[in-house]
Amino acid sequence: MPQHIKRLIGVFAVFILLFLVMRQVLKPSSFGELGHFRARAIYENTLRPMHYTVADSCTRCHKAIRKDKDSGFHKKLKCEVCHGPGLKHSLYADQFKNKELPDSLILYKPGERKDCTLCHQINAARVKILFDTINNTMVHQVDVMSHNLDDPKAKDAPKCIECHNPHQP
Amino acid sequence: MNEQTKDLSRREFFKAGTVLAGGVAIASSLAPYDGLLFAAESPGAKGKWYGIGIDINRCIGCGRCANACKLENNVPKDRFYFRSWVEQYTIKNDGSILVESPNGGIDGFKQSVPDKEIFKSFFVPKMCNHCAKSPCTQVCPVGATFETEEGIVLVDENYCIGCRYCVQACPYGCRYIHPEKGTVDKCTLCFHRLKKGLQPACFEICPTEARIFGDLNDPGSKINYFLKNHTCMVVKPHLNTGSKLFYNALSPEIR
Amino acid sequence: MEDHLQNLYEVLSKVEGYVYPNEIELNWSILIVLYPYITGLVAGAFILASLERIFKVRILKPTYGIALLTAFSFMLVATMPLVSHLGKPLRAYEIMITPHSSSAMAIFGFVYLWYLMVVLFLEIWFDYRRDMVIWANETTGVKRFLYKLLSLWTTDISPKAVALDDRIGYIVTVIGVPSAFLLHGYVGFIFGSIKANPWWSTVLMPVIFLFSAMVSGIALVMLIYIVLTKIRKQLLDMDCLDTIAKYLFYILIIDFTLEGLDQIHRIYVAEESFEALHKLVFGKLFYTLFIYQGLFGTIVPLLTLGTLQFYKPKAQIRRVIYMILPLLVLMGIFFMRWNVVIGGQLFSKSFYGYTTFKTGLIGTEGYLMAATWLIIPFIILSFLFWLLPPWKKIETSHE
Repeated sequence: MPQHIKRLIGVFAVFILLFLVMRQVLKPSSFGELGHFRARAIYENTLRPMHYTVADSCTRCHKAIRKDKDSGFHKKLKCEVCHGPGLKHSLYADQFKNKELPDSLILYKPGERKDCTLCHQINAARVKILFDTINNTMVHQVDVMSHNLDDPKAKDAPKCIECHNPHQP
Repeated sequence: MNEQTKDLSRREFFKAGTVLAGGVAIASSLAPYDGLLFAAESPGAKGKWYGIGIDINRCIGCGRCANACKLENNVPKDRFYFRSWVEQYTIKNDGSILVESPNGGIDGFKQSVPDKEIFKSFFVPKMCNHCAKSPCTQVCPVGATFETEEGIVLVDENYCIGCRYCVQACPYGCRYIHPEKGTVDKCTLCFHRLKKGLQPACFEICPTEARIFGDLNDPGSKINYFLKNHTCMVVKPHLNTGSKLFYNALSPEIR
Repeated sequence: MEDHLQNLYEVLSKVEGYVYPNEIELNWSILIVLYPYITGLVAGAFILASLERIFKVRILKPTYGIALLTAFSFMLVATMPLVSHLGKPLRAYEIMITPHSSSAMAIFGFVYLWYLMVVLFLEIWFDYRRDMVIWANETTGVKRFLYKLLSLWTTDISPKAVALDDRIGYIVTVIGVPSAFLLHGYVGFIFGSIKANPWWSTVLMPVIFLFSAMVSGIALVMLIYIVLTKIRKQLLDMDCLDTIAKYLFYILIIDFTLEGLDQIHRIYVAEESFEALHKLVFGKLFYTLFIYQGLFGTIVPLLTLGTLQFYKPKAQIRRVIYMILPLLVLMGIFFMRWNVVIGGQLFSKSFYGYTTFKTGLIGTEGYLMAATWLIIPFIILSFLFWLLPPWKKIETSHE
């Protein structure tokens, strides 16, 4: 074989060998175990921190409110729908029983009119029919921002919660 | 060209050809052809196979699902990145269709068309369909997105190169590129919650039980009950994505 | 980050109708318009070179070396727009380590390497080796070292060795033609296989990309040949130019027919997406599609080239035409890529609305970045013309 062909093949062989070596080195160890992906990624996806909990973990301390809620129209609403993610609060708030809660553990207490518009604002798309006769889960709709504004108690558009108990509406 | 040169050339030709063929053989062993066009095998009777149901008749457009998703999964707060969002469809009497999703529905909806012009109006929550034959998994060039054996499509954010091919391939618009990480992100069905036996945040939070989720392989599951008792459809069935997000009362306007 | 958000809010203010919230931001920007453009120039220039080498169109000889070196310079840069566009460019190597066999994009690493190293590099090497050995003996310093290095310190330039080089070079070119088709065809397949996007999803997409690539490559070599010859103060070979113009004409006809067929079919069949695409084409894409790509990039060159087949004006006039035409064609093909890539993202997959394209001058996806990737190949090409001048080659045996 001519000299220059030998040298050329040599150069290419070196490059291909280098590539094969780099491939072995750089390929992640768990790749290909379960399919064309890094199997470890499944585990990594479980490592996210949670922020929402379940309703029963609120009941542990707030028994009275839960009892109220269970007998009213809001009984199917989980606490976090209105109050936001409560996992941290449910885990650590009882350490502060007689002290002030730090800001990071305080949950939002809705009550402004704009909070209740999310579900109760009258909207042609909002369900109007009684779709569940057993549980009566129709949502009452009003024009929340101007609801009962001429009522003497409703001067300057106060909060909905001043007339309606959110836990037992 | 004399005979001598011709013979030499032919010999060299065969040598070169063998080198070439060998190179091709090596190159093809570097990228083993696994022939799998689709993300996962069909479910079969073994193990869990997650499916999702959404009842359009029950959705009141409160947007708590979109909000919970963003809070639970640290999704960027800006209105360009959503794992899950809610759309409002208004079909007017003249046949025209108006679709809105202000900030994904997180701040609630306003009725923008007067009652007398409306023929029909409803809310449609959207999220990743966790397709059984997902086009996004098919096109990922490095294997950074995949389907688990329980039927959930996940992203490996430590391997994603951010080429955005999967974002282009998803017919439902569920994927986005995280502005700071540069990798793709999408609904994971709150995989980190599932592994602890909890429901995904959006299903947990829905106040009207418009969202149902469960094991399609379990004949007694809520999702199978939902499927049996409603006429369910998927969005864009003609694309054959094997979508596992079944809508009750899906209207033809919904895309 | 702030700029990025600012951009997005501006785009949001211009959104028409409804787009999915994740679609407000365009995913593939001008860099992804550039990549098919550059690989298209490579494939096209190579096809022109192969016309001379394999199909024995001897009149094109003056452009053979230019075409090869042009293809090589642009190929060196081709991967840069892609890598610089990635969200995580440092992980780009993953595409070579774990390519996903069901993804068209995964072929990129291997096809690119194959074409660069085996087709282009080897062909240039076998074509220039004898000359490099000779030039090494005639020069000193850096140039001598480069010649020695590139020829791998070989010295055999006997007629036997040279005949062998020629034969192998010929085989490489033969392999190179389908490789060129693969190099650019797969790019078309990347778009054509996205069923979610009706503007991209067509069987014709790889073929359209391929023929428009050939058009752009041929036009580029034509232009470089004219500019180079003028710089060297030599006489232009008008027969060569006339032949190039002829091939440009034929391939432009095929390209126009294919693209026309795609649109006619779309209009006739009028699927679900038709109304949304119709509004897109006559709205946001009106200028880029009908005027830049269509009128100036395709119709005007077609009419001019067609006329030239029947009526040949004086050489002076033809020279001027041959300088302007390639520029028009190159612009037209650039906008063809633009209309496909950007146009395919301007409408929502819900078919209910449209977003807009916005990028700045600076930034990783800005116009300056794009201009840089277009200018660098010319710098490389100038270096290659200095190192491996095609006009100084000793008469080769593939006559």
